[in-house]
Amino acid sequence: MTKLLALLAIFAALFCAPLVIGSEFWLNTVLLALYAALLGQAWNILGGYGGQFSFGHALFFGVGAYSVAVLQVELGLSAWLGLVVGGALAAVVAVIVGFLTARYGLRGSYFALVTLAFAEVFRILSNSVSWTGAGEGILIPLDQRLAALQFPDTASAYWALWAITLACFLAVWRLERSRFGARLMAVRDNEDAAAAIGVDAMQVKLGAMALSGLFMGLAGVFYAQKFLYLDPAIAFGPEKSVEALLVPIVGGIGTLFGPLLGAFALHGVAEIARETMGDAPGLNMIVYGTILVCMVLFLPRGLAGLGKHVRRAFRA
Amino acid sequence: MATRMNRRGFLGTTAATAGVLAAPGILRAQAETVKVGLVHPVTGALAYSGNQCREGALMAIEDINAAGGIKSLGGAMLEGLVADSQSKPEVGAAETAKAIEGGAAGIVAGYASSITLATSQEAAKTNTPHIVDVGVSDKIVGRDLPNVFRLGPGYGKIAAFAVDNLVAINEGAGSPAKSVMIIHEESAFGTGTAGLLAEKLPEKGFEVLDVIKHANPTRDFTNIALQVKAAQPDIIIPAQYYNEYVLFARTLRQQRIEMQGIYSVLGGAASSFKFVEEFPEAAAYIMDCNHWYNPLSEEALRRRAAAEEKGLYYTYEVYLAYNAVALLADAMEQAGSADKEAVIEALAASTWDGHAMPYGPTKFVDGQNEGGQPVNTQVLDGKIEVILPPDFASAEAVFPMPKG
Repeated sequence: MTKLLALLAIFAALFCAPLVIGSEFWLNTVLLALYAALLGQAWNILGGYGGQFSFGHALFFGVGAYSVAVLQVELGLSAWLGLVVGGALAAVVAVIVGFLTARYGLRGSYFALVTLAFAEVFRILSNSVSWTGAGEGILIPLDQRLAALQFPDTASAYWALWAITLACFLAVWRLERSRFGARLMAVRDNEDAAAAIGVDAMQVKLGAMALSGLFMGLAGVFYAQKFLYLDPAIAFGPEKSVEALLVPIVGGIGTLFGPLLGAFALHGVAEIARETMGDAPGLNMIVYGTILVCMVLFLPRGLAGLGKHVRRAFRA
Repeated sequence: MATRMNRRGFLGTTAATAGVLAAPGILRAQAETVKVGLVHPVTGALAYSGNQCREGALMAIEDINAAGGIKSLGGAMLEGLVADSQSKPEVGAAETAKAIEGGAAGIVAGYASSITLATSQEAAKTNTPHIVDVGVSDKIVGRDLPNVFRLGPGYGKIAAFAVDNLVAINEGAGSPAKSVMIIHEESAFGTGTAGLLAEKLPEKGFEVLDVIKHANPTRDFTNIALQVKAAQPDIIIPAQYYNEYVLFARTLRQQRIEMQGIYSVLGGAASSFKFVEEFPEAAAYIMDCNHWYNPLSEEALRRRAAAEEKGLYYTYEVYLAYNAVALLADAMEQAGSADKEAVIEALAASTWDGHAMPYGPTKFVDGQNEGGQPVNTQVLDGKIEVILPPDFASAEAVFPMPKG
């Protein structure tokens, strides 16, 4: 219950961000951090709680993003329908990928490589068919009304993202306390032992894939509606997959608050590096990279593990 | 002891007092600075081009300030707010918002089409004038965004121009070429250009043997070169970014592929001094349909010399970004104000001809400068010469290219 209260308190504070942050730029920075937290938590469901390290989560992101874009541009349907279809379709694709990998017993690095390959296949496909705009990309017409699921200002975009992210974090909080979550973590810790006590590993993995895919797909829908342009590299490129896994790795894999900590730490470090390094191109990236390496080296359990270190130090 | 003030002391004190009293007046009289946001991908995959854009834009600011700033604003100096989009559209949008918040009266961005779409849309939220420096996608203009203006041509116009001139060059040589093969990179510019060419060339009697798309980055073109060798096209048409173009052109030479000509459309390296200097054999006789400065303009040659003095190659990024800033400054000059609405109005009515490009005075329709056009260049004797249109030509086309 303490965790839930802490989570709700953090999200209540985050809700107020547009009311207290006067600067459009800094609100946008918080928005991008929250968006990274959503990507990270979506990955964390499968990678952190399920132990299935995916290198191709951009696949689900891209499916969600292209669904909402294609439904609007090619079929003239409502973006709100696209929101539902985007999330659902991403979950379905995740289940299919999960079924194929589980069916052939692909775990660890094999699972990681197969997910990477699936994302790449979708990138090439979206580059080849005309209804995705192929290499030219797809442009959603500007119509800044909520009826078109577009955002007249940064604050409304922020609150829409906040709602999706809160839903994702609440789902993970529930997951931690559910039987499904216990089974998922049992499969993560020792799949054979879990199977021996009657856990259906495939069913559990598929459930985690669906949930992870759903939120990744919703993140894709948000991206498409915020920036209104997609191309295959943006939607299915490896950058999105890396962003999704980097956030929980830095923040703390398999923890509720890890992705949030990781996202804000990474964006904070990036902004500080940029502000302090001036205009010299790339210098901020060197500082950012160095800090990142140090964080991974000295905080192998991520920032969420830092609390344990501190408590232990106080007890000693 | 009494203190006496002598004449020198009196004059000194009076001058100092007058100076102190007059200072606020002088400060008030000084024109304010006008800020311009320069959002380019100076890190990431597009870093080379992004840095070239930034340098070009800063050169323009330097020149405008050296010439007395915006005169109708009392000599207001321009100040560039440089920003890095990191080759990502979402970062480009965030940096645009930051520049506008930092007081930018206009934005010049963002090299790649995908980034430009995001930056222009962000600027539209605050009705901030946005000048597109390089992005060639036809989707950038004509979106009912009144703040977006592009001086150079989009790929629709470039492809049409390229086809017409290819026909003219071929007919001028007795129509020896019958077939082409198109090799293009996979993003918006390569795909869009290749699609238009594949549609238009058959209408002009050319057989398109194949259209090959490749990923970015691609570091080995042997397989594609072998496909070209097997198909034996008369003309190869590449539409690629710089690195891929260089590697592809070198591989064609290494594989000793015989053809009548390489005719690029927006070839990343074909009109690049760097490529010609570093790989003269691979570059020889390559034709390109691309952005180019007016080689007969003294102002263009002066800018080129100034860029080279700074150690820059005078690439299309440099002069397009330079002109984007200069166009914005001219609009402020005409408007007599840095007010966003007034500048947009001035841009829409602009008849600016100080670009030193082969365009004529500007005339914007839905944000696109109607006079913007590419030229055809060819690498001849280690130099990049303009071969078409005739009004701007500095040499005659050599086609088919000599064998061996």
